[in-house]
Amino acid sequence: MMVRSWQIGLTAVAVVGGFVLAVQVRTEHLIETNLQVTSGRLGEVAYHYRQAEQRQAALRDRLAELRGQIADEEQQAAAGREATAALAASLSEMRTVAGLTPVHGPGVLVVISDSTRPLKPGEDPNLVLVHYSDVHAVVAVLFAGGAEAVAVNGERIVGTTGISCVGTTILANARRLAPPYQIEAIGNPHTLQAAATARGGILDELRAFDFPVTVAAQSDVQLPAYSGTFVHRFAMPLDTGR
Amino acid sequence: MLVPILGLLAGLALGLLVSFQVPLTYVKYSAIAILAAVDTLLGGVRAQFEGRFDLRVFLSGFAVNTVFAAGLTALGDLLGLDIYLGAVVAFSIRIFNNIGFIRRDLISLVWKTAPLEAGET
Repeated sequence: MMVRSWQIGLTAVAVVGGFVLAVQVRTEHLIETNLQVTSGRLGEVAYHYRQAEQRQAALRDRLAELRGQIADEEQQAAAGREATAALAASLSEMRTVAGLTPVHGPGVLVVISDSTRPLKPGEDPNLVLVHYSDVHAVVAVLFAGGAEAVAVNGERIVGTTGISCVGTTILANARRLAPPYQIEAIGNPHTLQAAATARGGILDELRAFDFPVTVAAQSDVQLPAYSGTFVHRFAMPLDTGR
Repeated sequence: MLVPILGLLAGLALGLLVSFQVPLTYVKYSAIAILAAVDTLLGGVRAQFEGRFDLRVFLSGFAVNTVFAAGLTALGDLLGLDIYLGAVVAFSIRIFNNIGFIRRDLISLVWKTAPLEAGET
């Protein structure tokens, strides 16, 4: 059969047209399923896409900025934590120094009791009793000898502790003390012992009047915390201008 | 007439099977080109029925129409004017015209009667 020109032409164009048509339909279908718009509105989609990209870039910048801020804040917070920790350590140290915490350590135990010497007729009974001044003197000697913490009969001696007497009772921190007086001090045991037993010192004097006095070095002395309060209604910190 | 129809089907099948895609930028132009191709195809079919088919006219019409339609659309994009609408209208009118003539040609072919006078659709 003779192939005629119209057949060749029509077939060629038909093949090409069919091919392009199918591809076009498929592409259009793809666009519609993916973007939910027709190809005619692709320009609009592109516009929105560019806008979204710009917004995204701006948001990304903002994100980086915020991340930087977070890092800064974290650094500041860490610095704040360090400062807080330093303050807490300082506060803890202050509380220990002020006598607000129980402490333990090597030291000495000094025990003094009323004199065993029988009173002679007409003699003042004060001569055979331990006075508040004696207790005070022992405490002062121990502090002078480098004691870091001192307690009398379990009553912690702090900066505001007053030792006084009311009648026949000795008071420390407004608490009654009764003989025998056990005075415990934490510090270098040798130094404290030497300070307490110095010749001509308070214990020497008490011994001379037949007061039973013992001084013993201790490997571990445990002292309670000061249980009272610090009142300062009148003493106000002086503004040093710092 | 069977061969071109088979060709059309083959082209459609090929286009559906091959994973080739029109780049999104050119979808608009290829759509117009397709319209031009369909118009040319129907024009060729009609010319064949009426016994005045010319391969040169047919092929040159196909090439020039498609390229010119796509070019017109591109120009419209440059000017921000929907010139392609003109091409769409023109091709659509011609397609309907051609289909009308082909229909009458087929009718006269089947019933062996003289074609009706032009003027009705």
